[in-house]
Amino acid sequence: MADGLGRDAKTLAVAGVCGIAAGMFGVGGGALLVPLLGLFLGYTQHRAQGTSLVALIPPTGILALLSYAKEGYVSWKTGLLLIPGLFLGGVAGGIMTKRIKPERMRQMFAALVFVLGALEALLAR
Amino acid sequence: MELPVSASQVKIVCARSAGLAAVGEIIRLQITLIILLLGLGVGVLMGLLGIGGGIVLVPALVHVLHLDQHMAQGTSLFILLPPVGLGALLEYRRQGQVDFRAGVLCAVGMLLGGYAGSLIALPMPSKTLKELFGCFLMLSAILLWRKSRLDAENDRKDLKLNHG
Repeated sequence: MADGLGRDAKTLAVAGVCGIAAGMFGVGGGALLVPLLGLFLGYTQHRAQGTSLVALIPPTGILALLSYAKEGYVSWKTGLLLIPGLFLGGVAGGIMTKRIKPERMRQMFAALVFVLGALEALLAR
Repeated sequence: MELPVSASQVKIVCARSAGLAAVGEIIRLQITLIILLLGLGVGVLMGLLGIGGGIVLVPALVHVLHLDQHMAQGTSLFILLPPVGLGALLEYRRQGQVDFRAGVLCAVGMLLGGYAGSLIALPMPSKTLKELFGCFLMLSAILLWRKSRLDAENDRKDLKLNHG
């Protein structure tokens, strides 16, 4: 690819923006990374999701976690209990994608995220 | 669900016996069960949608387990630390749907961006942070919906080329 470097720079910029959101909101950043990879770098939905999972394997949130921990904003026990279920559920979800069309997945994803977002914004206390 | 104890004599599980003495907390069996099931449910969404689970985890921690917004976000970051998405990733790789180079670049960008983001969020009041979190989720959804419509248009064009 001739424009490989430009593409890499674009990828880094997109990821930096996602990282800021991830640190601000305590999320992995995948929720933003998946649509941005699609919109700015032309990934298909499945490929964007697979690539987003790669970015979530290394502990990218560690610096953000350390700042939260310093302020005492981490419930370690709850976290430990959630991890095994997440892993097993993740495998199940990965297998389920084979049976679902990308179009359908996008709609499910967008609808879920929008409803969650609206609830959070409106019910904030 | 039948629990081995009645509601009146709530069983206390000592955290120390589970080898978690460092935390030094005592938790109830029911809550443990709820948390384990919650993890499983969020995990399915994670694999299905290729997300880290944080966007589902944070609201779940706030509304189901009643953690404060900052606490939920910090705990979510801790949960995302180990490679919980590894199983899902292997499934995607088997189907050839992974760009590893871009994935690694994204990881670097997110490491640094994540630190900056935490510095912005920590001094904020919980309510403001929650509202912003909601806006962030809606923005993600809108971006995704737009992308979805663009793709549908491209698919129709391809179809015309192939059959026309």
